[in-house]
Amino acid sequence: MAQPTEIEIPPAAPEGEGELEAHLHTKRMLINMGPSHPAMHGTVRTRIELEGETIVRMDPEIGFLHRGFQKSCENVTWNQCLPYTDRLNYASPLMNNFGFLNAVEKLAGITIPERAQYIRLIGSELHRIHDHLTCVGAIGLELGGFAPFLYAIEGRELIMDRVTELTGARLTTSFGRVGGLNRDLPEGWVERVLKSLDKCHELIGEIETLLTANRIFVDRMKGVGVITADDALDFGFTGPCLRASGVPYDVRKAKPYWVYDRIEFDVPIGVNGDNFDRYLMRLEELRQSEAIVRQALRQISPGPVIVDDWRIALPPKPEVYGTIEGVIAHFKLVMEGVPVPAGEVYDSTEAANGELGWYLVSDGSGRPYKVHVRAPGFAIMSGLPRMVEGRMLADLIPTFDTINMIGGEVEQ
Amino acid sequence: MSEPADKPKASPAPAPGRPAPKHPGLVTVTVDGQEVAVPPGTNMITAAKTVGADIPYYCWHHRLSIAANCRMCLVEASTSPKLVPACQTALQEGMAIRTDTARVAESRRAVMEFLLLNHPVDCAICDQAGECKLEDYYQRLDARPSRLEGDKVLRDKRRVLGPLVVLDQERCVLCTRCVRFMEEVAKEPQLGVFARGSDEYIDVFPGHELSSNYSGNVVDLCPVGALLNRDFRFRARTWFLSTVASVCTGCSRGCSTYVDFLGQDTYRYRPRENDAINQSWMCDPGRLSYQPLNLERVSTPSVGRGEDRREVPTAEALARATVQLKAMAGTAELAVLVSPGCSNEDLLAGLTFAKDALGVRTLYVGGRPDGPADNLLMRADKNPNRKGLTWIAAALGLGLRPFGELVLAIEVGQVKALYALGAEVPVPAAQAAAALSKVEFAVLQAANVSALTAQAQVLLPAAAHVEDEGTFTQADGITQRFRRAYPPRGAAQSHWKWAVDIMREFGFPVTLGSARDVFRELAPKVPELAGFDWDKEAPPLKSTRGISPLPSAADGRPPGYREFGTPRVRGI
Repeated sequence: MAQPTEIEIPPAAPEGEGELEAHLHTKRMLINMGPSHPAMHGTVRTRIELEGETIVRMDPEIGFLHRGFQKSCENVTWNQCLPYTDRLNYASPLMNNFGFLNAVEKLAGITIPERAQYIRLIGSELHRIHDHLTCVGAIGLELGGFAPFLYAIEGRELIMDRVTELTGARLTTSFGRVGGLNRDLPEGWVERVLKSLDKCHELIGEIETLLTANRIFVDRMKGVGVITADDALDFGFTGPCLRASGVPYDVRKAKPYWVYDRIEFDVPIGVNGDNFDRYLMRLEELRQSEAIVRQALRQISPGPVIVDDWRIALPPKPEVYGTIEGVIAHFKLVMEGVPVPAGEVYDSTEAANGELGWYLVSDGSGRPYKVHVRAPGFAIMSGLPRMVEGRMLADLIPTFDTINMIGGEVEQ
Repeated sequence: MSEPADKPKASPAPAPGRPAPKHPGLVTVTVDGQEVAVPPGTNMITAAKTVGADIPYYCWHHRLSIAANCRMCLVEASTSPKLVPACQTALQEGMAIRTDTARVAESRRAVMEFLLLNHPVDCAICDQAGECKLEDYYQRLDARPSRLEGDKVLRDKRRVLGPLVVLDQERCVLCTRCVRFMEEVAKEPQLGVFARGSDEYIDVFPGHELSSNYSGNVVDLCPVGALLNRDFRFRARTWFLSTVASVCTGCSRGCSTYVDFLGQDTYRYRPRENDAINQSWMCDPGRLSYQPLNLERVSTPSVGRGEDRREVPTAEALARATVQLKAMAGTAELAVLVSPGCSNEDLLAGLTFAKDALGVRTLYVGGRPDGPADNLLMRADKNPNRKGLTWIAAALGLGLRPFGELVLAIEVGQVKALYALGAEVPVPAAQAAAALSKVEFAVLQAANVSALTAQAQVLLPAAAHVEDEGTFTQADGITQRFRRAYPPRGAAQSHWKWAVDIMREFGFPVTLGSARDVFRELAPKVPELAGFDWDKEAPPLKSTRGISPLPSAADGRPPGYREFGTPRVRGI
């Protein structure tokens, strides 16, 4: 551009600094979500970098619920680990109890009686219903539907009551012992479970009616929090979150434990790997678990619930109080623990959120040398940023719900 | 009897005469298919242990004669169609032994069943529970319910045998270890087996009591809860006790011991295997010498004599001691009293302080007076470290004078101030206290309260040996390491620590921070100690993992112990 040379013209302001052409600066905002946020269940903190309302980067920080689970186990006998396992996934403690015991029994080469296997299966599936109801109800609640939550909690309470009758505790079940179970089913329990299942069936139907075709619900769930099958596998997803992406992996089918091979059930598989599919997976598993429990209750036959070996199971109380043999066995088992042969083992069961794996090392004494737990939620939590980055902040809420992160098992 | 199916096929045919040894000078046998070559005369149980075959036994003890009466160690041997007792059967060249067959297992189970037939249901109140062989072997080898119909045989449940030992005849399995010990080792046959068959029982001979100075050993020997220590009985459950290796300070024999403790209390001493010194034994006075560790301890520093005595903070006591000692340092009026009960570390630091800071040329030697001695373990000199004191004083060029001369020197007014490393004296405490009361100024480092400590102007609480690490040199010149059980009580510190602290107050740049530092820094000056590898000679930490609620012996603290600051964990 030609300019008259005789006139002094002030140099143009550098681009963007002139008063009129100033850009609206948008600054990325770094916010904390949690650890005490109503939607961040179980005290988890996430640092979220926002560009407007879009999540650019998300960094979950866990550890607020850390209890030193693995190290604590090294100081107690194998059976004394059970109360610690209650507190892993506190929405389904029976599965943690039984999963741990299963691994210990594999290491010790113990086969538990058939009736104990059935009761473990029934307890696990009841708690799967318990866990999924909690999750589905919470999704509804946080997307604005209070009614489904109340229905879910009603069903959950029924299961909780049955579990209380079985174990004596609502949450801290500590049920089962190495070699079987510490007690048999209470009288009239089977009938009460069947009644509760009938009611749950009804409630699940109600929840489905309220949510599955609900426009508000579907709009916030479909196509949100998507993860592909490859990514899910890479992150180590298991359970409903993996199956929602279309990978048909379920430990109950892949390597049937207890009496799962005698039970007919289907494993639902999703297509899109989004929130809606994960929700559907849980809904269908609720129905499948109900069917499993009903079958198991039909098949179960009377018999012992723990192995008859005083090196593993406590002797009956009259023997303990009345004979030296009983009192020695009791003393040794209580003070020194079940002697598990030296060695190491990995064993896993299908918990509500996926593969609950145990890597145990024994030095031949009555206490674990090392306990490592592969919590399904830990791997899934690590995939959360991948699922929400690039999405709106509000999409984090349903995504965090459907992965069903449980602080107790993730932070151990 | 039919040949068991799992008998090894390769069992050597009994050759005519003796087969030539496979390994010259050794006897070669096969235990559970593994070849073992051991010197002739080795016991089968010991030989089997070298390849991991753990043969159970009650009556056998490697330092006693063989009785073979418990029948627990029966094994299969290629030389006999019947099971043979492993403790009694001599090893022969080429012999094949099996300890893992069904026949052996069934024999062990049957023996356990018989042994428990009349055993009372006592574990809950039995001191042996937790370290009882009946419990261990029942759980390992039997683990079946009782088949007893009817009542158990009743006997005397609390037969007091002597001042230290009480016998529960119902619990006894009649292994006769105690009888053999009294006869063969203590050489005082006070115990015997009376009656016959199922009426048999152990007792003292009529009109006698178990009065031997070695009676405590029968309690250790007893594999079950029959013989119990009256001093320890009902005082602690064994699985709560932690254990460290230590040395007995009862006399100059320096028996190797284990110290069993809980919190900051020692509950008992037990002998630790040491071929060179005490074999598997210790004497009763030594066994009870743990008591002063718990009782009448000096726990806080104090200044002033008589009415003026008041407890003060450590820093104030140190300052007071320093001012007075500094004023007297280098003069002939300042004397130093050392006890041969102090560890080598205490003496190394204390004597260096006396020589370099206080400027003394001779030391007066305190220590406990002589006592009874015998031919087994007890020695007349009741101080654990006189040898060490002699060595260290010689190396530093310090003369040693008896305690009597100190008393004389005080009485003629030659000595006006005293620094004492340990308050044990070879004369009655009142007599020594009377002498000490004439001294103008006395700094006393003492572990236990006595008439003597009342006369100190500055009283510094000293740690007991179990409260720190260190070494003792016993009368034959054997130096032994002992480990720390728990931190010192109250404000107590080791003698070496007090010496180092005062030396620092004097202005010496001393940086010694642990007993190990003291030894490594100062011991090279002592020719006799220079070759002693302080780290390598440490007895192994005995693992208490298993039955105690939490592993606690690694840093010597009971579970949940937080009172004394940073845990002393190796590597920190």
